[in-house]
Amino acid sequence: MRAWQKKRYLQLEVRNMNIVVCIKQVPEVGDAELEINRDGTDILREDLEFEINEWDNYAVEEAVRLKEVNGGKVTVVTLGDEDSEDVLRHALAMGADEAIQIEEEGFEGSDGLSIAKALYRVLKDLSFDLVMTGVQSSDDGMGQVGVYLAGMLDLPYATLVIKIEKKEDGIIVNRELEANTQERLEMTLPAVLTIQTGINTPRYVSIMGIQKVRKVAINEVSAEDLGLDSEDIGSEGSIFSSLHFSMPQLGEGAEMLTGSIEKMSEQAAGIIRDKGGMS
Amino acid sequence: MPQRQLFLNIDSCGVSLFYFIAALAVALFLLGIVSRIYLWVKSAKGKKIIWNSEGFSNFLVNGLLGRRLFKGDFSAGIMHFLLLWGFAGLFAATTLVAIDDYLFSFLKGNVYIVFSAFADAAGLMLIAGVLMAVIRRYLQRVPRLERRTEDFLAVFWLLLVGISGFAVEGSRLAVQNASWEKWSFAGQFFSMFFTHSGNSAGLYQFLWWSHALLSLLFIAYIPYSKLFHILAAPASLYLEKQPGIISGAEDVSEERSPFSLREIIGFDSCTRCGRCVDVCPSAGAGERFAPRDFIAWARREFSLNMDMPSLLSKIHGNFINRDPGDSSLTEENIWNCTTCMACLEVCPVFLHTPDAVRDARKRVIEEGTKVPSFLSQALKNVFKYNNPWEATKKKRAKWCDDLDVPDLSAAEGPADLCYFVGCTTSMETRAQGLARSFVQILRNADISFGTLGKKEPCCGDIARRAGEAGLFEMKKEDCISLFSDLEIKDVVTSSPHCFHTFANEYFSCQMPGSAEDQFSFRVRHYTQVLHELLEKGFIKFPSKLPLKVTYHDPCYLGRYNRIFDAPREVIQAIPGVTLVEMFHNRENSLCCGGGGDRMWQEDMEGEVKMSEKRIREAADTGAEVVITTCPLCLIMLEDACKTAGFENELRVMDLNELLVRAMDIKAVSGDESMAEKEIFAAGG
Repeated sequence: MRAWQKKRYLQLEVRNMNIVVCIKQVPEVGDAELEINRDGTDILREDLEFEINEWDNYAVEEAVRLKEVNGGKVTVVTLGDEDSEDVLRHALAMGADEAIQIEEEGFEGSDGLSIAKALYRVLKDLSFDLVMTGVQSSDDGMGQVGVYLAGMLDLPYATLVIKIEKKEDGIIVNRELEANTQERLEMTLPAVLTIQTGINTPRYVSIMGIQKVRKVAINEVSAEDLGLDSEDIGSEGSIFSSLHFSMPQLGEGAEMLTGSIEKMSEQAAGIIRDKGGMS
Repeated sequence: MPQRQLFLNIDSCGVSLFYFIAALAVALFLLGIVSRIYLWVKSAKGKKIIWNSEGFSNFLVNGLLGRRLFKGDFSAGIMHFLLLWGFAGLFAATTLVAIDDYLFSFLKGNVYIVFSAFADAAGLMLIAGVLMAVIRRYLQRVPRLERRTEDFLAVFWLLLVGISGFAVEGSRLAVQNASWEKWSFAGQFFSMFFTHSGNSAGLYQFLWWSHALLSLLFIAYIPYSKLFHILAAPASLYLEKQPGIISGAEDVSEERSPFSLREIIGFDSCTRCGRCVDVCPSAGAGERFAPRDFIAWARREFSLNMDMPSLLSKIHGNFINRDPGDSSLTEENIWNCTTCMACLEVCPVFLHTPDAVRDARKRVIEEGTKVPSFLSQALKNVFKYNNPWEATKKKRAKWCDDLDVPDLSAAEGPADLCYFVGCTTSMETRAQGLARSFVQILRNADISFGTLGKKEPCCGDIARRAGEAGLFEMKKEDCISLFSDLEIKDVVTSSPHCFHTFANEYFSCQMPGSAEDQFSFRVRHYTQVLHELLEKGFIKFPSKLPLKVTYHDPCYLGRYNRIFDAPREVIQAIPGVTLVEMFHNRENSLCCGGGGDRMWQEDMEGEVKMSEKRIREAADTGAEVVITTCPLCLIMLEDACKTAGFENELRVMDLNELLVRAMDIKAVSGDESMAEKEIFAAGG
């Protein structure tokens, strides 16, 4: 839908839907060869590129689509250092209207609970129909923030959401369960949803799109603004603490091929042949 | 005295009626034109058209003389020539009659005799042209021509106008039968049918009115049909050489039409002659794309989005909807275009379809929701990792780990020449052979050169083809700032795509006074460097290499940059090598299917693969090796060679690889790629 068509459409039917999406900046690890720092407390982040967490990207897309159909407003919130402004701009370019950044200072070493506390403080003062988060983040992968938030906000929630339908007085969502089964749930609004990948195809964000939202003001808040003390947040306010990062050891059944591409291809073909994969 | 009486046997009431209808027809004609010009002016977006003699000569040579129309289809050229000059001649004759009647009388005596002979000749030319058109379209059924209602109307209406014109003249002469009228030779012939008629005055009136109404309605019909090309095509030909207005909208999301004025006028000039369909590799492979269909689609899309006064919009809507088109081309098919430019090579109105495709893509990119997923990933990679292939910056210089090539970005220079390897040649295993061979040749010739190592950016070609204008600008700035920091003045590229982008797209649409204006560099494709080395005697062949080869022209080297001879001369300089040409060669070369970002998209639905078509053509020449000079062609053809089952009879080699073999340069180390090894073994 082009801008002017959209406008015309929205004038016809006003049934606004305000959505808040909580997003996170994560290192992009697709093809990168990760290394762990000497203390084993984290991966080495110097050479890595950063991007919006994949699940969150789907959540932003879904929120923007719901807004495009129903009208309303999409607000994105993140907790992170100044670089995480990039993911907010990314979401704005996708079609989000407002962005809030919670400054990272004091939040170092936070687990899901500690992050959820900060997000809760922001959300409780906003008016919304839906809160969305990704099911999990690709770096820590705990999958907790969405459910913690629902608990703190005292709202109904659904996890692993792969379809959202707007109804007169609520929504119907599909949850993705094991072995291709799906559960269909009817929910009242407001509600909290954690979004599963594959719910949509996130749109491409062009460089010009990013440039266009360069001047949109980002609302920055600190832990202090939110009334959080140092014992509430960071490692002190967390119930988990990370002990050690490590790489998996080479186990049985795994064989690393080395040498030139030709040599490796020959070896690989030989193994496949031996196991009966090729006649 | 020889002269002609106007409105013979038509009473004053009839004359008034005639003028009334004439005024109506002209009003309709003008309204149609205004509705088109209105859109033209809007899409000019304030840019000025400047006087340009090249454009004018293009109009003369390719418009009035129709050189493009003769090329490749002589009979079409003759047909158009007859129609154009017959039509123009009759138009001139009518204008002269009007001048004679209203301003000053001069069509009398010998002048009238010459005039009537001239008018008759023009009329005959028109009828001959129309008959040729009828034969070509409906009897001979030339495959590229369609038989739609509009085509039928255009030719048969014009035929009726022509014949009724002569019938009127004939019946008039039958009545008047003056001796000078023998100069109206065609009319004289027609008058034979009327001499024995008892009621020729009544018949004359009937014929006169038929001809008048047919002609007037035809004039009114012009702007609402493909006949509008009579006005649009000259404009399109003139604009061919106007660099200022060739670029489309910069900010497509704000504009309702992403197309440039030149493209809009080009769309209006299209008569669906189908020459582009004949040469389009995508259409040829049975895919759902053809330039002609794209143009119809683009014109419709563009017009629907335009804001215009309701009357004009209605007229305009009719114009557009006259041709819903039988094609199933949709927005997703704009990604089929390989931007090979074969369509422009044959287009009689010089419509830059690939540019228009890019502008259409721009809109899809800015909207973001319908970008093909593989391409979207490739673009993201270009943004973050400076290459479309892999999400890593680390591997870019791996191809030359063992070659000890100076890294200019690490101050291992200074070097005279900067070898810009490019993304594909750096990252793709097969294409790396090109770079490795080129480095050996440069070394052998003692050329001082270096690369940009891991820091080498993407030139932005992929972004440019995808219509990702912001990303292209970003990559352009990356390259220019790196080149200027390192004071690089002389660049040679592996890929014709990088070459074209640097040479023709970096500085073409630049605002004067911008920062980039201060810096310029020379860029060459490696074929030009090889050719120069050969001429200077830096490339020597110790022994004969008995080999029959054929050469595949990459689109961006050949059609885009007219480099046809350099690679051929290099090939032919090798003693023992014979070069045979494929059916499609030089400017008619057939695209391998990898351009226009097709390399980074999923295979598209079609009957055959473009690359397999091309490799079959290469195999048909009986050559043992097909040589190319582009990493994309190399990959596409190499794959096709295997999938089409020519692996045992035909090899695909880059020109550098052939040279290294012919120059008998010792491989640097034992790890040359499998492809190279095979070729060495086979070539010996």
